[in-house]
Amino acid sequence: MTAPTTEKVATTPWTGQSLPRKEDERLLKAQGSFVDDEGMYRQGYAEFVRSPYAHARIVSIDVSAAEALAGVITTLIGDEVKAMTEPLFQFAPKEDGSQMNEYLLGVDIVRYQGEAVALVMAETREIARDAADLIEVEYEPLPVLLDGVAAAEPDSYVLHDSLGDNIAWKGLFDWGDIEWALEEADHVVKIDKLHFHRYSSTPIECNAILVNWDPGTDMIRVVSNNQFPMFGALVIGPSMGVGVDQFDFVSQDIGGGFGIKINSYTHIGVLALLSRKAGRPVKWTETRTEHHQSGGHGNERTFLDIEVPVMADGTMLGYKMRAFDDAGAYLHYEPLGAVIWSQVVPGPYKLKHVQVDYTETLTNKCPAVPNRGYSRMQHIWFLERVIDLVAQELELDPVEVRKLNYIQPEDYPYTTPNGCVYDSGDLPTALDMVLEMIDYEGAKQLKEERAGSGKRIGIGIGTTLDSGTNNFGQSRILNPELPFSGNGEACTALLDLYGEVMLKLGTNPQGQGHETTGSQVAADILGMSPENIRVWAGFDKSHSAYIGFSGTYASQFAVTGINAIIGAVEKLKAEIIEVAAHAFGAEQDQVELVDGEARIIGNPEAAIPFIGIANMVFANNSTLPHEMAERVSLTCRHVYVPKFELPDVEKKYGNLTLTYSSQTHAAVVEVDEETGKVQILDYAVVDDCGKRINPMVVDGQVHGATGLGIGAALREAFEYDEDGQLLNSNFLFYHAATATDVPNIKTDHIESPSPFSGTGAKGMGEGGGAPLHTISSAIQDALGPGKAIVSDSHNPPERVWRLLNWDGPADERGVSVASKGTTS
Amino acid sequence: MLLAAVDYYRPDTLDEALEALVSTEGARPLAGGQSLVSILKLRAASVELLVDISRLEDLRTIEVADDGAVRIGAGVTYDEMATSPDLHQSYASLSNIAAHTVDAQVRNRGTFGGNLCHNDPINNFPPVAVALDAVMHVTSKNGDRDIAAGDFFTGYFANALSPDELLTGVTLPALDGRSIGYQEVEIGEAAARAVAVVATSNGNIESANVALGCLPIPMRAPGVEAALAGAPTTAEAVAEATASAADGIEPLTDADASADYRLAMASVVAKRAVMEAIEGGHHG
Ligand SMILES: Cc1cc2nc3c(=O)[nH]c(=O)nc-3n(C[C@H](O)[C@H](O)[C@H](O)COP(=O)(O)OP(=O)(O)OC[C@H]3O[C@@H](n4cnc5c(N)ncnc54)[C@H](O)[C@@H]3O)c2cc1C
Repeated sequence: MTAPTTEKVATTPWTGQSLPRKEDERLLKAQGSFVDDEGMYRQGYAEFVRSPYAHARIVSIDVSAAEALAGVITTLIGDEVKAMTEPLFQFAPKEDGSQMNEYLLGVDIVRYQGEAVALVMAETREIARDAADLIEVEYEPLPVLLDGVAAAEPDSYVLHDSLGDNIAWKGLFDWGDIEWALEEADHVVKIDKLHFHRYSSTPIECNAILVNWDPGTDMIRVVSNNQFPMFGALVIGPSMGVGVDQFDFVSQDIGGGFGIKINSYTHIGVLALLSRKAGRPVKWTETRTEHHQSGGHGNERTFLDIEVPVMADGTMLGYKMRAFDDAGAYLHYEPLGAVIWSQVVPGPYKLKHVQVDYTETLTNKCPAVPNRGYSRMQHIWFLERVIDLVAQELELDPVEVRKLNYIQPEDYPYTTPNGCVYDSGDLPTALDMVLEMIDYEGAKQLKEERAGSGKRIGIGIGTTLDSGTNNFGQSRILNPELPFSGNGEACTALLDLYGEVMLKLGTNPQGQGHETTGSQVAADILGMSPENIRVWAGFDKSHSAYIGFSGTYASQFAVTGINAIIGAVEKLKAEIIEVAAHAFGAEQDQVELVDGEARIIGNPEAAIPFIGIANMVFANNSTLPHEMAERVSLTCRHVYVPKFELPDVEKKYGNLTLTYSSQTHAAVVEVDEETGKVQILDYAVVDDCGKRINPMVVDGQVHGATGLGIGAALREAFEYDEDGQLLNSNFLFYHAATATDVPNIKTDHIESPSPFSGTGAKGMGEGGGAPLHTISSAIQDALGPGKAIVSDSHNPPERVWRLLNWDGPADERGVSVASKGTTS
Repeated sequence: MLLAAVDYYRPDTLDEALEALVSTEGARPLAGGQSLVSILKLRAASVELLVDISRLEDLRTIEVADDGAVRIGAGVTYDEMATSPDLHQSYASLSNIAAHTVDAQVRNRGTFGGNLCHNDPINNFPPVAVALDAVMHVTSKNGDRDIAAGDFFTGYFANALSPDELLTGVTLPALDGRSIGYQEVEIGEAAARAVAVVATSNGNIESANVALGCLPIPMRAPGVEAALAGAPTTAEAVAEATASAADGIEPLTDADASADYRLAMASVVAKRAVMEAIEGGHHG
């Protein structure tokens, strides 16, 4: 990979500085442009009709009253969609080819509350809403299946006939020799069950889509806040029978995504069909209730029959367990999560022997989609629960057990049992730092002082990994036939007619500051101020650079996006220098770029400003040799491609991710014994994402991920009743954490540069869900030994209160130890 | 807007409002709209006419009588309660409760009367009115009547008014040296809540009114009140006396908490509210 310039320029590097974000001024002045701010001539408004049932047969749909309402343009129902389209592409059909049939709109059977069954389009949003009320759908309720573990039972009710069972994907992951390890170990710690709950990081802006299927050109212009439009195009294009070349995806500002906004592609597709039917543009802005019911939830995962072989000194040899991941009613982006967790098989620990029997199931709940920390945080939460329970049950110090089992700084690059290569890090130092930040010794003393006061103190630690830059080849572990591997991103760097520098990215950020960090790295290469570099805001497929992986997701911009920018800007720089050298009659290595000019090194008098370079190429090209004038475009596209190989799908072995950031969190909490309420007294984070391009942006990501994780740990869970009705589908009942619910977060960092990313930077947007691990750990510490274990990632007051008041028999605590020489 | 079509009328006088309520089928008073508009957005209620009472001067005063009793107009907002010097003087704890109700946006619009009439189990003021033995002043084209707070709340989102009646104001009796404790288990808005109005002298409790909220009907706890009367003001005695606070209540189960948990919390919030009252009253 191209490294930043080695040119001798007089400025300090812009990269690494906490420059204020370019995006902020427009956002703070309410000059951002979100989908709902956009409009198209003759646009109508769409309203979805959604199933009130979690599972039902659609007996009939009558749109006549709606269509008769003044102002209604047209309607669309599932049967029409079925006639016009093919079922959506599925990642991993069964070996016999069976798979679920999902269309862009519900057909015949609805499988979760909130599933869309019909659409109406009207002149105003109000009329569309009224008309939707007039669409009569007759349902015949069917049995409801909500338990992701029971769904796998052979006699379970089958949700998708064409699939044959409720198993989205199943596989055995087996590395090392777990049976040997269980034999060899001095102790085997057994944990009955751990459960990671269903929630969403809840973008503040719901989904929104404005689409025009132009009857004249057959082009489909999609203004949306989808965060991975190229993936959407790959899935819906074939279903709709349209080429990707027909789609023009556009987005500017997006009010948060967190992965959830990958999910809107089915709605993009069906709204496009509606626009085609109407011959007019159509706009849809999701309500919060729609978003909660159907916008996408994070994966819920249950871990069963966990066995952990541990040596007498606390060395953990590995683990064995069964995992059941509840994907909800349809597979949106799933079952990719069934393999993505294996980017972090041992977590931060040197675990060698691992066996995971993994099943992803279907239930009558909202589809699970990626959510900040996607699939890895569920797994690392599991591992952090394991290490704390090992420490507790074997009466070991939780800090020492971690340090003993951590991958050590000298171990990097470290190859995990499944062939992933951890690039760099220093976990023991991070742990020491974070413990000092919460005054660990003082906190332990406070814990003693408060004992018996009714307010217990708990201290929690959560070490987590934020793996970034996927090798999409891991999808072949699900299905060897899949034509995906590697990763990458594109950028175009150009000079405009008067020499202005502009970057067009393949990414479509949702607050990650790409305009700022992109201009910082470009500025260092071009020897100019980032202020004078325009980064095109948002994404527009008609002119932005892109490849199939383009988008903003999965903690990779700092590697893929930044390297694409560096590559494109280096190419632009080379062209500028070539033209300048020709004009100077000098050699190229005698030319440098400083302050927006090309100069002869050491002679500021001999300078051509970029406007002069642009002039020669764009408007005065007979001054250049003809060959050069035709070749040099000052419009330089670069695609960055990380070096990946295909994994061995049989062994489920290979390098699945390029970089591994770590975050080490620590918390001191106070638990109210009477109510079970948990209050955070102190919270600290040490982040290590290698070289930081803009430390303030990194800090923002750390704060954001921590806030979302604290919300998830203590407040946020999607709760369904036994009929599959979502009980908290608005903000009155779904308690998303707000600024006042998040304590002050102390942050510090270490920088362990990645040897693999070119710049030393690592992706770090997800934070690995660390507060979930940390708060579970702190509550466990407050409960103390001999109690029932913290077995759920969501710990609202009632759950903690039940743990505090638990007085069942010792063999029902949920954990036990079998030690050598004693009978278990 | 996501509301179904609805007519809107803002009368200038109380009499016009009452006239509209009695003469229009499906008419409904609109006060701060902080609950009613949300319900209309969900299309969960069918209303033909909204009679906006939020600017009726007759409903917008706070009057303190010489004996210390307070009459709060139904249209007084939480913010006005929080910032009224008169109320702060006579009923400091109540203005503190108002000052911490929800957020500034809701406090600017939500009204004392709307809060009581709506009787959402999460609402702050129904158990306050019950604990204080407040008197609810009601009027309609047929004349005026007073309803004791204990009879006003009839169920989940329900009260004793007929559709043509308006709550005009609420009289809170003089505190006469009593203090108000107000405690909740905050989950979302609240999962359990208790209000205690306590008089003490010489280290003993002279009298205590205890009401529990977060229930379809806010309830007094007579057993607790009897046990508190004459008891010492110590934490132990109060804990013992409030231990039976859950007797006879039927809390709800929802996404926030089960009925079992809320039952267990009843004595916790009752104890804490009584102790807070003993220690000088609610400060927010
Ligand atoms: C985000 C949010 C959070 C909230 N959290 C809380 C909370 O924690 N605690 C809390 O107490 N409240 C809370 N509320 C509710 C808020 O306090 C409402 O304002 C209150 O319930 C209703 O008061 P209102 O004046 O807005 O009445 P409206 O919404 O206008 O009316 C409510 C009902 O009362 C009827 N009504 C109103 N006034 C009269 C009258 N004078 N006579 C007869 N009927 C009348 C209306 O017809 C309607 O049926 C919250 C509201 C929001 C939006």
